[in-house]
Amino acid sequence: MKNGTIKSLAIVLSLIFLCTPATAHHGNSAYDEQARVSIKGVVTEFVWTNPHCQIYLDVKDKNGKAVNWGVETNSPAILTRAGWTSRSVKPGDEVTIIMCPAKNGAPVAYAGSGDPGTKVIFSSGRELDFQDKTTK
Amino acid sequence: MQTLLFGSIAVMTALAFSPSAMPQTVQPKSTSQSSTVPLRLDPHDLSGVWQLAPGGGGQGPGDNFPPLTPWGQARYDANKPGYGPKAAPGGNDPILKCDPIGFPRILFQIWPFEIIQIPGRVLMFFEGQHTIREIWMDGRKLPADPEPTWYGYSVGKWDGDTLVVETIGFNDKTWLGAQGQPHSDQMRTVERYRRVDPTTIQLNLTIVDPKTYTKAWEAEPRLIKPRPGVEILESFCVASEEEEFARRIRQPAAQQTGK
Repeated sequence: MKNGTIKSLAIVLSLIFLCTPATAHHGNSAYDEQARVSIKGVVTEFVWTNPHCQIYLDVKDKNGKAVNWGVETNSPAILTRAGWTSRSVKPGDEVTIIMCPAKNGAPVAYAGSGDPGTKVIFSSGRELDFQDKTTK
Repeated sequence: MQTLLFGSIAVMTALAFSPSAMPQTVQPKSTSQSSTVPLRLDPHDLSGVWQLAPGGGGQGPGDNFPPLTPWGQARYDANKPGYGPKAAPGGNDPILKCDPIGFPRILFQIWPFEIIQIPGRVLMFFEGQHTIREIWMDGRKLPADPEPTWYGYSVGKWDGDTLVVETIGFNDKTWLGAQGQPHSDQMRTVERYRRVDPTTIQLNLTIVDPKTYTKAWEAEPRLIKPRPGVEILESFCVASEEEEFARRIRQPAAQQTGK
């Protein structure tokens, strides 16, 4: 996968945030946690497994060819406290995901509690983020 | 059998009256009391669901470790963590293969844990890898030559209002934290837990491991805060699922691009 892959895909915004330290349990140094990049596509799979749930979606590149992206997110327990269930995202859903892309340009990314601002936006406008909704 | 039955009843009774998973804030006896009135608090009751507050050291006892011995340096050089000054994509953190997180690293995880106090023992029930740690409080001594384990053998006692826990009997397969700090099977740890106010436990951890570090390591004190209403959910590390995740996401993300 070439370094320019991300640019060639349907990027609609890229913002710089001041990030809090990542909270993935093993470290997120493969991802650009200073960036927030948006991809839009159709969900192909939502994997609800420990220790990392994953969202896969087909994203069209500039030539209209579908590229399957994989987005790493939190554990089921952390997602549960953020208001998610294993049915929150379903194959066929049209979603926009604001995520931290892999530094190497591969079509993989991180979106989760460690990086505020990352979230999933459904075509209805409904949003799901990764922040804990329980009382602290 | 009778002993087992009575033991079970004792445990169930203790659990039934434990304020675990309930709000930790101690309420004044009367609503007319202002919040400035000293709260009644049993300093020896640490039961409930808690979580480490963010702080110096991150997901480990910190980067401020004492000078390493040659053995410790070789171990540190071999460790390729995802956090800290040596952070790089990929790496060889043992938990990437679902090895037990081990002690004391489990104390620094991002997930909640529950303290359960029952006769003769304090249990720490960590959401991370759904792990139970036992601390014996019945006055027993540390074993002279314990077999190495991932979490060691722990005995505790109250020193005034401080719970002091000593642990020995570790294997050397785990890291002390996500930054890749090593340890040996000679490690001995001392934890001191003190409830400094109704909603805060302070943790002071000392690591003594002369095979790895040239002097004792006093980790930065950390604060532990209550998580009222939070349940400990099932959060195993499942090796088969982790392998599939690594194949589909971690490895592509960490692949060198030849830049």
